[in-house]
Amino acid sequence: MNRTTGRGAAGTGDRRCIMADDNHEISRRQFLKTAAAGIAIGLAGSPSFLSASDEIDLAVVSGEPAAATRKALEAMGGISRFVKKGQKVIIKPNMSFAKTPDIAATTHPLVVVAVAQACIEAGAGEVLVLDHTLQRAELCLERTGIREACRTLPGVHVLALQDRKFFQEVKVPEGKVLERVAVLKDVLESPVLINCPVAKSHSTTGVSLGLKGLMGLIWDRDSFHFRFNINQGIADLATVIKPQLTVLDATRALVSGGPGGPGDVRKPNLIVAGADPVAVDSYGVGIVPWYGRTFKGAQVEHLLAAHQRGLGKIDVENLRIYKGAA
Amino acid sequence: MKKTIQVLSLLMFTALFLLADYRLPDWLPADIYLRIDPLLGINAVLAAREIIPRVLWSLVLIGATLVAGRFFCAYVCPLGAAIDGLDFLLFRKMGRPGLKPDAGLRRWKYLLLILIVAAALTGVSLVYFLDPLALLTRFYTFVLYPLAIALLNLLLDLLRPFLQGMGWTALSRLHYPQPVYYTAAATLTIFGAIIGLSLLSPRFWCRVLCPLGALLSLISPLGVFKRRVGEECTRCMACWQACPMGAIEKDPLKTHFPECIQCKQCARICPEKAVSFPASSSGRGEYSAVDVSRRGFFSSLAGGLTFGFLSIHTPFTPLQGRKELIRPPGAIPETEFLRTCIRCGECMKSCVTNTLQPCLWESGLTGLWTPKLEMRMAACEPNCNVCGRVCPTQAIRSLPLEEKTHAKIGTAVLRKETCLVWAQNKLCLICDEICPYNAIVFRPIEGYRRPVVIASRCNGCGYCEQRCPVKGASAIVVATDGEIRMKEGSYISEARKLQLEFKPDPGDDLFVITEN
Repeated sequence: MNRTTGRGAAGTGDRRCIMADDNHEISRRQFLKTAAAGIAIGLAGSPSFLSASDEIDLAVVSGEPAAATRKALEAMGGISRFVKKGQKVIIKPNMSFAKTPDIAATTHPLVVVAVAQACIEAGAGEVLVLDHTLQRAELCLERTGIREACRTLPGVHVLALQDRKFFQEVKVPEGKVLERVAVLKDVLESPVLINCPVAKSHSTTGVSLGLKGLMGLIWDRDSFHFRFNINQGIADLATVIKPQLTVLDATRALVSGGPGGPGDVRKPNLIVAGADPVAVDSYGVGIVPWYGRTFKGAQVEHLLAAHQRGLGKIDVENLRIYKGAA
Repeated sequence: MKKTIQVLSLLMFTALFLLADYRLPDWLPADIYLRIDPLLGINAVLAAREIIPRVLWSLVLIGATLVAGRFFCAYVCPLGAAIDGLDFLLFRKMGRPGLKPDAGLRRWKYLLLILIVAAALTGVSLVYFLDPLALLTRFYTFVLYPLAIALLNLLLDLLRPFLQGMGWTALSRLHYPQPVYYTAAATLTIFGAIIGLSLLSPRFWCRVLCPLGALLSLISPLGVFKRRVGEECTRCMACWQACPMGAIEKDPLKTHFPECIQCKQCARICPEKAVSFPASSSGRGEYSAVDVSRRGFFSSLAGGLTFGFLSIHTPFTPLQGRKELIRPPGAIPETEFLRTCIRCGECMKSCVTNTLQPCLWESGLTGLWTPKLEMRMAACEPNCNVCGRVCPTQAIRSLPLEEKTHAKIGTAVLRKETCLVWAQNKLCLICDEICPYNAIVFRPIEGYRRPVVIASRCNGCGYCEQRCPVKGASAIVVATDGEIRMKEGSYISEARKLQLEFKPDPGDDLFVITEN
């Protein structure tokens, strides 16, 4: 997508390498995921889940952060499609910077609250709102307003885990550049991960939406920048960290100066929700012009790489999209 | 009664110490113990050669001493409380040689006081080394606090399986960032020596060395409450033995008032209840002269002046501002800063990112223990202005957040020869990602997008230097160039004059995505 790495990386991005998967080990994560998938398929088979929402890829709802989020979740068939009674749920907002919501470098607290509340209402055992922040943790929790906003929700914990002991190394069997990565243990142990990124520009990867946001769940993000191609790294990471649902906060979009801001903040007033992380991001790319130019998802290298690994759909034209207003 | 007050005072000192962080409410003077210390105040004022408003707080203690004598040492001084407490724990049962009350030893503290004041007259701050409050704050900051956090984390680690088992989600994931400091070992050694001196006699430090005690003892005999011995006295000498300060003379009816700290141990121990501390109008010949010989006085004076001369007249002085040494935002101009800073370490304790570190030899003898930013380790947090707020002598000015943002501490300089993007064409843009002021932008150069620092938008916070993934020295470092050091006036207007802007500037960051 940009000139430095453009063609080469994209050209070599031949399909998934399932064949090469000789030394396949079943990790706890994979086991849980398989189990969860099995349960999900089982439940999906029951009539109540054969609603129209099941057939849509994305829900795009305009409106105020909280109301739009709730409506988007409803349109996706309700959070209970993803969260079962008693389950531990991880919500991953972007709260990596000690910035207030108006800077648009972090997820709007009301979006996080709406998702967390929905999870609790669906009977989630506990909800952990987690990030590995770039700036000092307590300041991030404070400034983003996310901790304060969730304070009154019982069973919801907003935490920034900043020590290596909270991470566990896992193999990346499908990794092209990434062989191993240390991921937050809580993420590995939870059946449900809901990604709640904010829509923002990013000086390295063009945009930082859902997939880029997953870098907030790993220990060593620096090596993504200097050891290997970050765009391939993000795609690799998406093969091991797979959110069941992505709720993109595009109520505000930091269209330049990202990821930390300050920069140009637009107000698309949109929430984009979907189970396909690539599709959500790809739609997100088209919402606003970034750095003054209009782009498609396929022009964003890490999205293209993820799509080519079979991690999701990238053509917005072929997506089934529910559009509504709250 | 005395012990209770001592414990309370030590607890309050500890509580204020712990409260000194970025959340410190504006109304709470966390540095109050340091502010009321007249020794620190007088020396800062003498060395800086001007009145420092915050130092006027020390008039409180001077006034109180004029009324009630040298009670501070017995009741308020947290170092005194620590010495008494550790004395009780460690040395209680030991036979100690003791000191003769009339020994010339206690004159040392006056000689030290003279030495310190003489050095201050030359503009060299030496008080920090022996002032009990600066000393204890430093010990708390560099040794005790990091130790406490380490033990706390260890405890949490040990309890973690249990906490997890109990389902205490937040608690089972609790972990405190570990503060680390240079000079911790030296600080512990000094503190240990002070405690160890109690092996010779109780409160050896207070009797013999403490320059604050010396200063207070100069005015304490003017106080209202004085030891008086009634006629019941049998000269059993129990008080003479028990006095922790050696303030009772061979004739137990007589008191060496400068040494008396009003602890009333003599009154408690007297079998005849002959000792009392009634209020009495002073100035009736009860002022005992301080026994410093003329020879001692002049030696100390000469020593202090010599020390001052030797520490100033080194290449460090002409090199001030010409070496890379990043001072905290709001630090007054370097010469004044070195004179005013009392090296208590309060700023370093309160620093939210732990970037504030004590100087070793970076600016010579006059700069020991002054705060500097260690940016490869941590940056100056934009949302925090606590270092100035807790500075008792305002060597770092107390600034509102917006002012502090404009108190530029340096400018990031990119080292192209080691930068991954410039030297190796890699896709690294961490410095830009983390820069809170958008002072690093990308420009298409030679077909690549390369980071460039816009100096007028960089306030020197150092996030780029800290996060640069290059191994070893950072490829982007904050240099002192461009720092704003002012004794007074607004940093915002100064920044405006210099055409600096620490604000969003939308759209300047060119991210060029080309369609292939």
